[in-house]
Amino acid sequence: MSTNGQNVNTALPTYTKKDFESGVDPRWCPGCGDYSIINQVQRALPAVGVKRENIVFISGIGCSSRFPYYMNNYGMHTLHGRAPSFASGLKVSRPELQVWIVTGDGDALAIGGNHFIHAMRRNLDLKMLLFNNRIYGLTKGQVSPTSELGKKTKTTPHGSPDYPFNPPALALGAGATFVARTIDVEGAHMGGVLKAAAEHKGSTLVEVFQNCPVFNDGAYEFLTDKAVKADALLRMEQGKPLVFGKDGKKGIRFNPQSAELEVVTIGENGVTEKDILVHDAKREDPTIAFMLANLSMKPGFPTPIGVFRDVRMPTCEELTWQIIDGAKAKKPDASLEKLLAGGDTWTIG
Amino acid sequence: MSNANSSGTLTGSHYLDGDHACSEGAIAAGCRFAAGYPITPSTEVVERLAQRFPFVGGRFLQFEDELAASIALLGGAWGGAKACTVTSGPGFSLMMEHIGLAAITETPCVFFNVQRAGPSTGLPTQPAQGDMMQARFGSHGDYRLIALCPNSPQECFDLTVDAFNMAEEFRVPVLVMLDEVVGHMTEKVVIPDDAEIKVTERRWTKKPPGEFKLFAPAEGSLVPEMVKPGDGYRIHVTGLTHDERGYPKMTVPEHEKMQMRLWNKIVLNADKIVKYEAKDLDDAEVVVVSYGITSRIAERAMQQARAQGVKVGSFRLITAWPFPEKEILQLSKKVKAFVVPELNLGQMVLEVQRIVEGRTKVVPVPHVGGTVHDPQVITNAIVGAVR
Ligand SMILES: Cc1ncc(C[n+]2csc(CCOP(=O)(O)OP(=O)(O)O)c2C)c(N)n1
Ligand code: SF4
Ligand SMILES: [Mg+2]
Repeated sequence: MSTNGQNVNTALPTYTKKDFESGVDPRWCPGCGDYSIINQVQRALPAVGVKRENIVFISGIGCSSRFPYYMNNYGMHTLHGRAPSFASGLKVSRPELQVWIVTGDGDALAIGGNHFIHAMRRNLDLKMLLFNNRIYGLTKGQVSPTSELGKKTKTTPHGSPDYPFNPPALALGAGATFVARTIDVEGAHMGGVLKAAAEHKGSTLVEVFQNCPVFNDGAYEFLTDKAVKADALLRMEQGKPLVFGKDGKKGIRFNPQSAELEVVTIGENGVTEKDILVHDAKREDPTIAFMLANLSMKPGFPTPIGVFRDVRMPTCEELTWQIIDGAKAKKPDASLEKLLAGGDTWTIG
Repeated sequence: MSNANSSGTLTGSHYLDGDHACSEGAIAAGCRFAAGYPITPSTEVVERLAQRFPFVGGRFLQFEDELAASIALLGGAWGGAKACTVTSGPGFSLMMEHIGLAAITETPCVFFNVQRAGPSTGLPTQPAQGDMMQARFGSHGDYRLIALCPNSPQECFDLTVDAFNMAEEFRVPVLVMLDEVVGHMTEKVVIPDDAEIKVTERRWTKKPPGEFKLFAPAEGSLVPEMVKPGDGYRIHVTGLTHDERGYPKMTVPEHEKMQMRLWNKIVLNADKIVKYEAKDLDDAEVVVVSYGITSRIAERAMQQARAQGVKVGSFRLITAWPFPEKEILQLSKKVKAFVVPELNLGQMVLEVQRIVEGRTKVVPVPHVGGTVHDPQVITNAIVGAVR
């Protein structure tokens, strides 16, 4: 067994998008955002530098979780909420595989919420794509943990009484080392995020805002409609100031007095480009990333997309094997026979 | 018994599907708390409760999974409400932990399982009756509960009311075991006036704090009374083996005392609990034992068999658990054969075989589920049993 994942790139064939299509025609509703996501994933995979047979897709249950059927990879459609746990077991035993998880907002954050936070905390190299349509699609339109407060759905016909999760903020709080957000209709942006996610080593969350035209149509219109999106979207780019708006004059400033992020306009009230926060996803401390993640919940602020955090830390599987190697080094003859024969064994007379 | 709360009951004749009839039965029975997690083909029950509850003073909350929903249910019940949760196979598997907790803590509550074909995710939108043994034995340890099997939307309403009543009478989880077809079929459902619906209220104790013991059977009964928070009682409820005060007591005699009372409150009251529908048994040589949607298919098969001259009668299980042992035993002494069709590969038939002990022939008519039997297959089994 490979313990470091170094030997998987040998003699890598040149792939095209078609190599990642299973030949089964995807069956989502017409206009479903899931189509564009799978399209981008299939486009991104040829460039990740991993053999197709070493890429695994693991899903839970939901419309989104049908994904592995349509991918020409090792695929597993597991149980509702359990994909992260299934994937963790696989990754620890086979660290050389590139393991992707495909999940929905209900799958990952309701029934799988506990598994989700622990997968993020452990920093196993698992790449989770969370299709967030803010609704239960497969079961036909019930409230989800990302549905807005007051949302009317089939199980909240008079309005939802509970507050939603913000998946990137949750993942950051749980210790994820790579956290990003993109949108189903922003193909080029998604491609960039997927590439960065593939390159990262460690727990990875990519939240994809996904439209469900049947049960929650227009959930992201405020970010995708041409007339309004310039003022509503904040594209975070590494090393660049966090500016947005039609003419790029609005920006995000860190206010040291209130210890909060605020929206300012360059050229107004003495604000210059220097005042604008420069995006740095490599900051080890996740505090600023957390503040940015939470902007989407605050009225008057734009919704950030891009990479919130991208920090390299030893992964759980690396540490697992380091610990094993360390233990072996201390006891150089730790062969199975010796272990069985030595120490606490006795003979039954 | 008092009469149904007049504020919520949907009195009148309606076209309802089985799932919605369960929701209406729950409201008529006084259920005012429900917890759930969406799963096909059961979600309609809670969707209707979510719609209706605000107008009758009820609360529904969708939880993060069935583990949460099924224990939130117990929270609601101990808060004083009549409570239910609703699910199907995969969710039912997750709920097993809390069915056990409800049994040992003697929590009155109702679980609906609209059965779909399994194992695992199986056929989410297609019927089965494959959870019948899980209903009886699914949680660990020995325990007894009550399980009912409606075969029509009308019975979904009626048995839901019964389920809530028996949950209160015996302080026990009651399972309403529908199947996808019964859950989704639409038929006429007559909902009587409040005055005609018998509703069993929770038996709140009249004993003062100090004297009252939460797990001591009430006089002349095997079932203890209850209190609710705010009534001034200090109580302790645990999933550990406990004494009459509810305090952990992990000794064999205490375990035996607790276990045998939990067991006997159902087993010794079986005559009060068990319901079945008998038809044409007087001259029957063959008896078809069926339940749920399969009983509707079996009716057709019995007509066909009678047309071929076979004296066939029907014993329809309305209560699956406790099983009508006495009745089947009596029948086994006079008939030539039992025929047991069910949408599984042989579950309740095991119970018939156990009781019959080889005295008469028992013919299983298994089906993998996903659809219902072809009636001809059952007819052939009936005819074949005596020829
Ligand atoms: C234990 C269990 N409970 C419930 C279900 C039913 N179920 C299937 S998918 C789903 C939710 C899907 O929502 P989401 O995860 O947001 O995915 P989407 O369909 O929106 O992509 C539910 C409740 C199940 N399969 N298993
Ligand atoms: S229900 Fe919604 S999420 Fe599911 S396939 Fe249809 S459009 Fe997509
Ligand atoms: Mg969803």
